[in-house]
Amino acid sequence: MLATAGEAYNRVVIRRLLPATREEVFAAWTDPESIAHCMYPGDVTRTEAQLDVRVGGSYRILMKGKSQDYDHTGVYQAVEPPAKLVFTWTSKGTENKTTLVTVEIFERGAQSELVLTHERFPTPEAAKRHEGGWGQIAGKLADYFAQGANN
Amino acid sequence: MTQAVLCAIFNRMVEYRRDLDAVFAAVADPTRRAILATLTRKPATVTEIARPFPVSLNAISKHLMVLERAGLIRRKVIGREHHCSIEPKRLRQAAAWFDYYRIFWEERLDALEHHLVARAARPDVPASGPLRTALRVTVPSRGASK
Repeated sequence: MLATAGEAYNRVVIRRLLPATREEVFAAWTDPESIAHCMYPGDVTRTEAQLDVRVGGSYRILMKGKSQDYDHTGVYQAVEPPAKLVFTWTSKGTENKTTLVTVEIFERGAQSELVLTHERFPTPEAAKRHEGGWGQIAGKLADYFAQGANN
Repeated sequence: MTQAVLCAIFNRMVEYRRDLDAVFAAVADPTRRAILATLTRKPATVTEIARPFPVSLNAISKHLMVLERAGLIRRKVIGREHHCSIEPKRLRQAAAWFDYYRIFWEERLDALEHHLVARAARPDVPASGPLRTALRVTVPSRGASK
């Protein structure tokens, strides 16, 4: 079990050859409709996706299941079409801890190779540095409205 | 991979509500991973563990403390020697997380592949244009079968 633990306990890396150009693959990752089509594990009956695709922008993918909802949120860290997309990924499945997903797309003739890496941050402090996004914006809005209410 | 197996892995994983942060921090270091690999073969004393590494015994001791605090190894003092052995349960808990997401992403990429093929077969549907922002889309799932 541990012979391959070196990398196995740090990250998941998936490689896939896809029958599409890099532009098409990248578009599928940043288009809410495509995302909603692809993000539906087994008992999910409906998926909603809201994507603000820019560095520091947030996304939300809500998968509604028969017995429970699976809510995924995160912040885009890198948006480099058509080659790279990096975003944090937080959900009940990650114990509500921030994790990091990197999607890299390489040209392979008429096809593309996609390499997806999903990793946990080595420390909670490292995770905090990437959380940004909604947290910061929501905080600023709250302060703004609180000030307004006092005037 | 059936949905039942996937659910089983997910349930086992979320059973362990205890914080795995310490475990992931511990295995993030290559020296500590090497120490764990050594101990999976068999238990060893601190001296035995330290021998192949080009760092001081003190440095190895610090690594062992991190591993112990994360619950990944057990330490027993026999005479003057500290004997270390692995605690596989904590490592299995961490492994469950990776197992779950390996399967999760393989399935998502299966779906992406189908989606790309289907899209290519319908050239009348416009490809996605420039990056869109803050769109809300509700898409009914294709149903139970997958």
